[in-house]
Amino acid sequence: MELFRLNEVTFSFPDADQNVLQDISLTVHEGEFVVIGGGSGSGKTTLLKLLKKELAPTGNLKGSIQFKGKQIQDWEERTLIEQVGYVFQDPDNQIVMDEVMQEIVFGLENLGYSNFEMRKRVAEMAHFFGVEDLLMEKPSELSGGQKQLLNLLSVLLMKPRVLLLDEPTSQLDPVAAKELILMLERLNKETGMTIVLVEHRLEELYAMADRVVFIEQGRLLYNGSSRQVIDEIYQDQAIRLFPYLPAFARLYMEFESQPLRESIPLTVKECKQWLGGDETVGGNAANLHEEREDRPVLLEMEDVHYQYKKKASFVLKNFQLTIRKGDFFALVGGNGSGKTTALRASIGGVKPQRGKISYGGRDIRKMKDSEWHGKIAYLPQNPRTYFVHQTIEDEMIRIGDRLHLSDTKMRMDKLLDAFGISHLRSRHPYDCSGGEMQKAALACILMGQPEMLFIDEPTKGMDPISKQQLGELLTQLQRQGLTIFMVTHDIGFAAQYAKRCAMMFDGEIAADGTPHELFKGNYFYTTAINRATRETKQPEVLTYEEAVGSWSVHATI
Amino acid sequence: MGNGIQSIHPFVMFFYYICLGFFAMFFNHPVVLLAGCLSLIAVNLAHGSGRALKQWAPMMMVMALLIILINPFINSRGTHIFFYFRGKQVTLEATLYGIVTSMSLLMILLLFISLNAVLNGNKILYIFSRILPKTAFLVMLSIRFVPLLKRRLTEIQDVQRLRGMTIRQGSIRNRAKSGMSIMQILLAWSLEEAIETADSMKARGYGMVKRSPYIPYRFTKMDRNRLVCLFLLFNLSVVGGFLGYGKIIIYPMLGTLHFYPLDWVVLTSSLAVMLFPVFVEGREQLKWNYSD
Repeated sequence: MELFRLNEVTFSFPDADQNVLQDISLTVHEGEFVVIGGGSGSGKTTLLKLLKKELAPTGNLKGSIQFKGKQIQDWEERTLIEQVGYVFQDPDNQIVMDEVMQEIVFGLENLGYSNFEMRKRVAEMAHFFGVEDLLMEKPSELSGGQKQLLNLLSVLLMKPRVLLLDEPTSQLDPVAAKELILMLERLNKETGMTIVLVEHRLEELYAMADRVVFIEQGRLLYNGSSRQVIDEIYQDQAIRLFPYLPAFARLYMEFESQPLRESIPLTVKECKQWLGGDETVGGNAANLHEEREDRPVLLEMEDVHYQYKKKASFVLKNFQLTIRKGDFFALVGGNGSGKTTALRASIGGVKPQRGKISYGGRDIRKMKDSEWHGKIAYLPQNPRTYFVHQTIEDEMIRIGDRLHLSDTKMRMDKLLDAFGISHLRSRHPYDCSGGEMQKAALACILMGQPEMLFIDEPTKGMDPISKQQLGELLTQLQRQGLTIFMVTHDIGFAAQYAKRCAMMFDGEIAADGTPHELFKGNYFYTTAINRATRETKQPEVLTYEEAVGSWSVHATI
Repeated sequence: MGNGIQSIHPFVMFFYYICLGFFAMFFNHPVVLLAGCLSLIAVNLAHGSGRALKQWAPMMMVMALLIILINPFINSRGTHIFFYFRGKQVTLEATLYGIVTSMSLLMILLLFISLNAVLNGNKILYIFSRILPKTAFLVMLSIRFVPLLKRRLTEIQDVQRLRGMTIRQGSIRNRAKSGMSIMQILLAWSLEEAIETADSMKARGYGMVKRSPYIPYRFTKMDRNRLVCLFLLFNLSVVGGFLGYGKIIIYPMLGTLHFYPLDWVVLTSSLAVMLFPVFVEGREQLKWNYSD
């Protein structure tokens, strides 16, 4: 049965001359798992919001949107609220109440359900999700993944026919993201729930989706099964969309001499089968090379111990870290492994109970905040925390004043040009997209020509293209002599761009080395492409780019 | 939801605290008040607020002593004169009045320590959501934002400190200026994010029809029986009180402190009310010890 039917939908915001959506025709059938992909600013979120009447943005809408064969405007408000569920991007912002239980029943309370019905639904769903022991908790004490699960649960209690999700995993670490997606798959398979998901981290989703839809600049470019879309993109040679495709599929399309649509691998298993299980000569993984130790040490952390509360367990224990000038160092680890705390300790955000942290040979406890200023730069997870002034230009000029620079104007122009954001200079930072805002913050930070840059989770919520741009930018800065300390859970990103990586576990650095030494051979703590290429005929690789570089022979497959 | 006292329906416990607050202000016989203080200490110990009690003890002692010591010197009513202090009479009545006042204040403080532990945030909100549903909902919403804003504030402070805006070092003028900027970022950012919160409320039908509050606490038969018992005993004590039992006459001239048979009745019934949570908890403990 048809659930949604969009007929040549065109949409523009008031006062905007450009259409956000252009002639989109799309049908969603009952029980389908539809994934909508596309870069940030492509209009995919607007499309999703149009499907939920209460959230539909105001603007110029042409064409028709039907829900179960009837115009969406003609439906009774209550029916639509119940039957169309919507989960947002940020797990924190959607939570309204102060107790998990209250939050779950929030929607039911709003619709005036009886206590009997509420109890019944809570009992059933809490069991299905296995969250009985969380019901009395406060949402602020849950992890990001648990919060997003709570949001999903509170929507599901209203028994929707279709679930709309707007990048639900963009703020989560990979493990939590996978759990959420598996939960969605389970819902889809076991209860036949229709799911429409907007996402640009698509890798695992290709294997689950019944249909993949690609939107670019408001136009629907591709619409079909996962394999069909991949095949069509390659036939059209739409190179700008390649980064959105799963790495296995790209390898297959690139290296297979006669690619067949039906056998495009979408999972690690399928990719291994395609490559063939004959092991090449091993041992290249353990190829440890001596590191050059002659560069001066910039940041040193010795035996650092830290706990948030007196009786809480140690978040950092025996933490040792040395960063030399010119390093591009990435600290990876799961949620709660203490990696963000380690970063905050190194910039003096938290004071460790024991241990010594020195910067450039001096104890940071003895340094004044003013001495730091300009030398050290910190790019936060959320660049919104950075901006104080009305425009980006204003912000940069004030920084110049603060640092008593003589060539503020010149430096500003140079940075804005280098980052390709000159056209945004007179815009309010909050009006830029996430990627643009991050670039602007980075440009502002670099005004002072710092020696060392600290970055916290830079790739959260980014589409693959912005990610690639950021990675290239950072590599370039590092080549110019900037020392970088990055904390991330994006292993693919760390593997591709960082020169040195360390894995954090239980408050300590468990292993430290080049990305190759660290990630190759791991089961989970590695990129999907590494898992797929291990013990196959082809050399083991970490990233797609590495494969393109090292797998020279097409004919072997 | 816990056992013993924590499992009693919030309404019953709320009624209990109202009764005790009433007693503390209604009766003024030192024996009744002493019984009230002791039973509240017992109640606090029964639901495990011994630590909070210890924390507050010094403060309460000092307060009680001050009232007892100061009252006779500033209040000179009464006829039984101890001695004269700077031309003013220090009387037995005023001393006794000080003792009675401090005991009834102590009783109220002890009551709040217990109330704080038993009727924690959500239970209080639940009680008020029946009386003032909109206010209770608003309070719930605001409470939710406290930890969120706190977390955002630390995040902003970290970032701005490295930009040279700090509230930890420098001149007061600069600190104040940085503080303002930080608050400005917090506000702008939070308002922006709050749009999504509003959307999420709208998406789940907020404001469509009258909300039907979810009642997480079941009013059991046991709760009903307890409430009836409390109500009857409370009325008995209050009627006794109106007849003058459980009370003493202090001004203008101290009456008798003698305990008549009906005074005993009032004391017993009020004591039964005051010790009600201890009975509940004790019964639970006995069950654990003597059943298998």
